[in-house]
Amino acid sequence: MKALAGRVLVRWETLLVLAIIAVGIWSATLSPFFLTRANLLDLVTPYVFVGLMAFGLTFVVITGEIDISICSTLAASIVCFAQIFAAGVNVWAAALIGLCIAGGLGLVNGLLVGVLNLPSLAVTLGTLAAYSGLAFVVLSGEGVATFPESFTKYGGGYLAGNELPIALLVMLAFALGLGIVLHGTRFGRYLYAIGSNREAARLSGIPVTRVRVTVFVISGLMAGIAGLVYVGYFGSARADAASTSLLDVVTAVVLGGVGIFGGTGSMPGVLLALILVAEVRSGMQLANLSGQLQNIVIGVLLLVAIVAGNLISAARAGSRPAKLHRRRKGVRANARADTQVIADSNP
Amino acid sequence: MIAHVRAMKPQELAAAAFRLREIGIVLALFVVIVFFGSRATNFLSVSNWQDIAQNVSIVVVVAVGETMVVLTRNIDLSVGSIVGLCGYLTAATLAHHPGLPIEVAALVAVAAGLGLGLVNGFLVAVARIPAIIATLATLAIYRGIDAEITGGKNITASQLPDHFLSLAGSKPLGFPALAWIALGVSILGAATLRFVPWARDFYAVGSNPDAARFAGIPAGRRIIIAFALSGSLAGLGGFLFASRFPTLDSGAANGFELTVITAVVIGGVNVFGGSGSILGVVLGAVLVATIADGFTLMRLDEFWKIFFNGFAIVAAVTIDALVTRRLQEALRRRRAALLVPPAAEAKA
Amino acid sequence: MRKRTLVVLIGSAVVAAAAVMATLGTAGTTKTHYKIFLLPKATGIPVFTQNGNGAKKAGKELGDLVTYNGPTTVSGSAQVPFINNAVRQGYNAIVISTPDANAVAPALKRAAARGVKIISYDGDTARDARTIFVAPSTNSLIGQYEVQWMGAQIKYKGQIAILSANATSANQNTWITFMKQELRKPKYKDMELVKIAYGNDDPTISAQQTQALLQSYPNLKGIISPTTVGIQAAAQELKQEGKCGKVQLTGLGLPNDMRKYVKAGCTTKFGLWNESNLGYLAAYVAHNVLDGKLNGSLGQSFKAGTLGSFKVAKVDGNSPVVVLGPPLVFTPQNIDKYHF
Repeated sequence: MKALAGRVLVRWETLLVLAIIAVGIWSATLSPFFLTRANLLDLVTPYVFVGLMAFGLTFVVITGEIDISICSTLAASIVCFAQIFAAGVNVWAAALIGLCIAGGLGLVNGLLVGVLNLPSLAVTLGTLAAYSGLAFVVLSGEGVATFPESFTKYGGGYLAGNELPIALLVMLAFALGLGIVLHGTRFGRYLYAIGSNREAARLSGIPVTRVRVTVFVISGLMAGIAGLVYVGYFGSARADAASTSLLDVVTAVVLGGVGIFGGTGSMPGVLLALILVAEVRSGMQLANLSGQLQNIVIGVLLLVAIVAGNLISAARAGSRPAKLHRRRKGVRANARADTQVIADSNP
Repeated sequence: MIAHVRAMKPQELAAAAFRLREIGIVLALFVVIVFFGSRATNFLSVSNWQDIAQNVSIVVVVAVGETMVVLTRNIDLSVGSIVGLCGYLTAATLAHHPGLPIEVAALVAVAAGLGLGLVNGFLVAVARIPAIIATLATLAIYRGIDAEITGGKNITASQLPDHFLSLAGSKPLGFPALAWIALGVSILGAATLRFVPWARDFYAVGSNPDAARFAGIPAGRRIIIAFALSGSLAGLGGFLFASRFPTLDSGAANGFELTVITAVVIGGVNVFGGSGSILGVVLGAVLVATIADGFTLMRLDEFWKIFFNGFAIVAAVTIDALVTRRLQEALRRRRAALLVPPAAEAKA
Repeated sequence: MRKRTLVVLIGSAVVAAAAVMATLGTAGTTKTHYKIFLLPKATGIPVFTQNGNGAKKAGKELGDLVTYNGPTTVSGSAQVPFINNAVRQGYNAIVISTPDANAVAPALKRAAARGVKIISYDGDTARDARTIFVAPSTNSLIGQYEVQWMGAQIKYKGQIAILSANATSANQNTWITFMKQELRKPKYKDMELVKIAYGNDDPTISAQQTQALLQSYPNLKGIISPTTVGIQAAAQELKQEGKCGKVQLTGLGLPNDMRKYVKAGCTTKFGLWNESNLGYLAAYVAHNVLDGKLNGSLGQSFKAGTLGSFKVAKVDGNSPVVVLGPPLVFTPQNIDKYHF
């Protein structure tokens, strides 16, 4: 299984690099302003916050769960941060509190899914709404936009003669750090183990519950960090922040080669996928195509990514397509010998 | 009492759990009415209840369709976009052909919704894309198509014929026309789930897709039908939406899917598929709308409504899962006691 | 082996990218005419489309390229990518109407630092983020007129509410301030402002807010809606509930939208200005700023094509401002004369 995954992954990332180059060529034909240094460096800046959320979500999806409440977590944490800051607290202290809140919101998800064993889709669907509502209660329809330059530069500032976005460096740093955690630590290996076969992981001594709770906390924290970058870039904190970004985040994760049922995925893949998504959007933006039209393209991209993943897995597995249906994560996790097993035992 | 429960057959136990949920919602409704009735001006007036009925009717129509999908252990996040798109199509049709009877416009909306739902069904059942991803993508794609069709303009009420606009305001027998339609759809939906064979299969497909396949049920085809129904009813919902909010731009019904799913989840439909009733969904929708209305009349900051919706989903899911777990444990013990445990049994 | 291949892949991609970056420069711009970017609050709202048409007409007269584009929903943050985009595409000026004065300020200042001229119209930005603000009319007049119209319709007695757009919108808040000021005059002593509701310039939300107002304030006598989306939604809602005539309505509205409701008696007086002219004027202001004829100093004057001469002044505490003119007033007698 791992060798199979390995071969699929390496192929996948190559495809992504090729796609990035191809889209680059296409974008260049759409607008003469695409192939300028300032533009290329600035390509990902408006989507750095999307990338940070995608990195966090990757951890969750690899363990076989899903977290669709991340955008609401971002909104809730930044409005708390904004209100605390507006009350006179130092901006960095307020940001730290905002991060703690984001982590706490993630912890709620983690406890409900990891300890109570509730289905993550339903739980995060509920917290998506609850956290969004919380954000509106804290800040209603207004916005706070008076943040100091020393803070906003991490999201919207530039180095090297106004051309190198600091946000890009922030994103690369997190990609590197989280990538090391995912691919180079024992904790990271636990994630893959749990995602492939939760019961076997538990039997082999992995602290499954603790790990599952932790990934949701990570997801929440990354949403909080994404929120701080968001505030830096957009210059204001509002309760409806990032409310339409879930599509991009999920696309970055899925397109990055992270298997939606868990057990496979890589951080470099997600980074490349995020660059691709940002490139597609930037290219369309330069061509003055509307945001809604862009959404159609990203939506199609998401579908194509999954179908392509299915086909590749099928081709690799041989004769007939593996039955990649979701394991029932309910009362008991069921031991699953390999992906060919059909029977799903449930009461 | 415990002995009585122990003596019940597994099916009766399940049915009892159902009724418990619906009774629970009715009780909650009663408490809410008493609470708001005593504190909010105008809450107990006829006109207020007519407003609640009207507001809830569109949600109910779409929720009936969503229920079908959720029963099969899937989810349809694109209903909001389908409502917006079909609503716009309805308005555009009537704006260009003002003489058209509104039934024809409704048919256009339903047909469009059917097509969109079929695409969803195909993506989930044939292309094997998990429903959450597929409908997240179609949510964006359909909304984008809507934006392209509107071309950045909108249709205002002044362009629409009066016989259409009057639908939302008419109240035959004191009950809003839209609510009558919602009632009809609910009864039809409930009857379908109860009596029509392929609809009953939704429950089987949702509780155990593989066992259903083994039993000869074409699960893929059933899932496509479920999504088609969801799309069609969302299309009808779009028609109703256009009559209620006749000025439509490309953002119409943005986020509506959340309201619908709230009603479905609170109404007792298990997000994991396999159980749920239309009655529960209708009651759930009414409960949510009543609380929202109460908040408004108490002149509370309306953002509490959004928070409450989310909190309610989490609470409902938690309670459901815990209750279901108890039920499953009970059923498992019952079955173990009833049957001689054969080694070949694939279950438990 | 897998990991090594991966690292090599990524590494070579990074090196390649860096090499490409190093060889690129910035795009050159040959200016035969100016490039002006008109950025509305949202593109789906008719009044903004009309602004855009007026600006494009001015562009043709002046030989400038006017691009009209913006987000599809009303949101200040959603305008930021368009601002950055315009800078990257080499636009010389951005003419912006924003629902959130502070949200767009950092992006606008970044644009200004790169030499792009910023002009605001209709929805003003933070003062230090733009050169000149083009106002559709005098804000004090707009506020006063709407209260006067409402007072006359409800015979100066009863509860009234305001249905506004976004809570962060500068023009909305300014008008509301002037409305409240007008309401303090003795002749309105029997009128009470009970609530300000926000419809976010979304037709559905505006309709729902109207219904909520009618429900929670059963004695409501009038609604003032200083937004074309809001007044239209409120009129439709009143008509649907059969409350036209019982609850009075006024505010800012498009004559084409409101004609039906005027004839049905839902409102007897409301106002606006020529939206096309507003866009036209804004484009002329941008052109003159780019030409160097206007730099934000008070007292400078210029000619705006067919609209005549204008002077930059300080108006209602805001400056520097160019005002289009007094509001147009629509009544059942003259509603058929206007077609926009």
